[in-house]
Amino acid sequence: MVEFFTNPLIVKEMRERFRSKRTVWILALYLFVMGTILLGFIYITQLNEPYNILMPGENYRVFLLMAVIQFGMICFIAPALSAGAISGERERQTLNILLATQLSPVKIIVSKLLTSLAFIFLLIVASLPLYSFVFLYGGVSPAQLFILVLFFAITILFFGSLGLFCSTWTKRTGVSTIISYGLAFFFVAGTGVILFFLVSLLQEVNRPEYTVDYVWNMPAVQLLAGLNPVITMFDILGRPIEPAFEFFITPWLYYAIVYTVLSAVLIACSCYMLQPVRRPLRLGLGRRRS
Amino acid sequence: MIRTEGLTKRYGKLEALTDLNLSIEQGEVFGFIGPNGAGKSTTMLILSTLLAPTSGKASICGYDVVTEPKAVRQVVGYMPDFFGVYDNLKATEYLEFYASAYHIPASRRRSLIADLLELVNLSNKADAYVDSLSRGMKQRLGLARCLVHSPDVLILDEPASGLDPRARIEMREILKELRRMGKTILISSHILPELAELCDKIGVIEKGRLIACGAVDEVSVGTRGISVMQLKALEKQEVAEKLLAEFPYVKRLDNKNSHFRFHFTGTEADKAQLLQMLIEAGVPVVHFGESRENLEDVFLAITEGVGS
Repeated sequence: MVEFFTNPLIVKEMRERFRSKRTVWILALYLFVMGTILLGFIYITQLNEPYNILMPGENYRVFLLMAVIQFGMICFIAPALSAGAISGERERQTLNILLATQLSPVKIIVSKLLTSLAFIFLLIVASLPLYSFVFLYGGVSPAQLFILVLFFAITILFFGSLGLFCSTWTKRTGVSTIISYGLAFFFVAGTGVILFFLVSLLQEVNRPEYTVDYVWNMPAVQLLAGLNPVITMFDILGRPIEPAFEFFITPWLYYAIVYTVLSAVLIACSCYMLQPVRRPLRLGLGRRRS
Repeated sequence: MIRTEGLTKRYGKLEALTDLNLSIEQGEVFGFIGPNGAGKSTTMLILSTLLAPTSGKASICGYDVVTEPKAVRQVVGYMPDFFGVYDNLKATEYLEFYASAYHIPASRRRSLIADLLELVNLSNKADAYVDSLSRGMKQRLGLARCLVHSPDVLILDEPASGLDPRARIEMREILKELRRMGKTILISSHILPELAELCDKIGVIEKGRLIACGAVDEVSVGTRGISVMQLKALEKQEVAEKLLAEFPYVKRLDNKNSHFRFHFTGTEADKAQLLQMLIEAGVPVVHFGESRENLEDVFLAITEGVGS
């Protein structure tokens, strides 16, 4: 395991990525912006308080705001970071040389994924102390924050895998980035649109038997709702978007399982596609092909 | 060392390589000659385990390129015709990355990299960033990269393409050194003369087919009943050119001012007749004789009519 994480590709990628001054500047700028928003919000909130203090529990909006900003950042950065991982090597004409070494496609793909996402994980970890402001005034439990970070980690993993898959699939980084964003948009907004369309349709077609509560409590609707990152995140934050109802499965756990499996499938597909000489999927049948 | 049997590669209806049979012994330098799209790079990609053949077999050091790719990669150093480098790395870091990618122990890497940089005359650029190197230097660094795992076989696809004359000479000297080290080398090049003094054997490939293969002498123009002739006339070059062009055994006439170079397919008596005609026409001939053939002549003579 240690050998895997110190493999030459990870060392090289880390060296290349973190050597540049740009990385330091982006990290500094990110923390500055996040910190400014947080402190500015706290300042505005306490302006009209009688004793110029933030009341315990009322800072929940700060927590919400930070989570939403960070989620937006993940949606924006994670696919882009990995969308050029393999196609970039192809464009630089270094991929064939890399594949001719003893590094296996699995090692190359996983290393690329880890190093692509290392930076965004660094941003998340570096911004954790900002959440301490929220703890200062109470209202958010450590478990809630832990689940939120876990949710972010799984979302990063999924969007990263999505970008990596597109990067392996397409030849050009530009095309790969566009497809990655398109697919990410589908998962963030598209699933929500489909969900609300389906809910409305079910209600209208079966009026008046199917009430709002009835439809939202249908297992199929709940499973679809659990796929939407925004709905799941607001559920974790304790501000559900959908009408209050009892999920038959813990939403974030369901989300975690589904998206971890999807990520694993995308990574496996990427590894398969990266092989210079691919074995047929139905082993023993047919001949090898390129 | 390198064997191919009936190696064929098709891309849909296009047959990039047809029934290629090659046998290259240990320590040999084999030159692959052919125009763009002839199938040289396809062959090299298959031998480097980066492309699957449609049919046929290929092996290097006894390892099958399709079923034992890991073993093949350990004994082959591959340099593609176009390749990029990682710009944000220093020359030593670049080589260190590939050394570790071939599982070279960390304790050996430092001395190995120093030796390789010495071999390719880049010791003074050890700490320079790769993007600051000239094209020739990058090409030499690429060659050093091929050698990090001390492979027995080198597959070099157009190693001198895009290099200026000085860089080409430097590259050729390094390749000669590698030949002295006993490496088996499969090399392709567009610049044909540069292969002549380097190769033990050459293979001429056109439209995916190997149309001639053997030692440079065996595949010479002379064995095909063609001689390469040279003529120098002090004056009346137009008359000389007209006579040469009209003479039935003269092919591929090349006029460089007062120097003429052409392929002659006739007998010795025909040569004498041609010279007599020139003198009778009053052309002041100062030189008339056979020229030293080069690989360009070999290639042109062999591929005559193949494309049509």
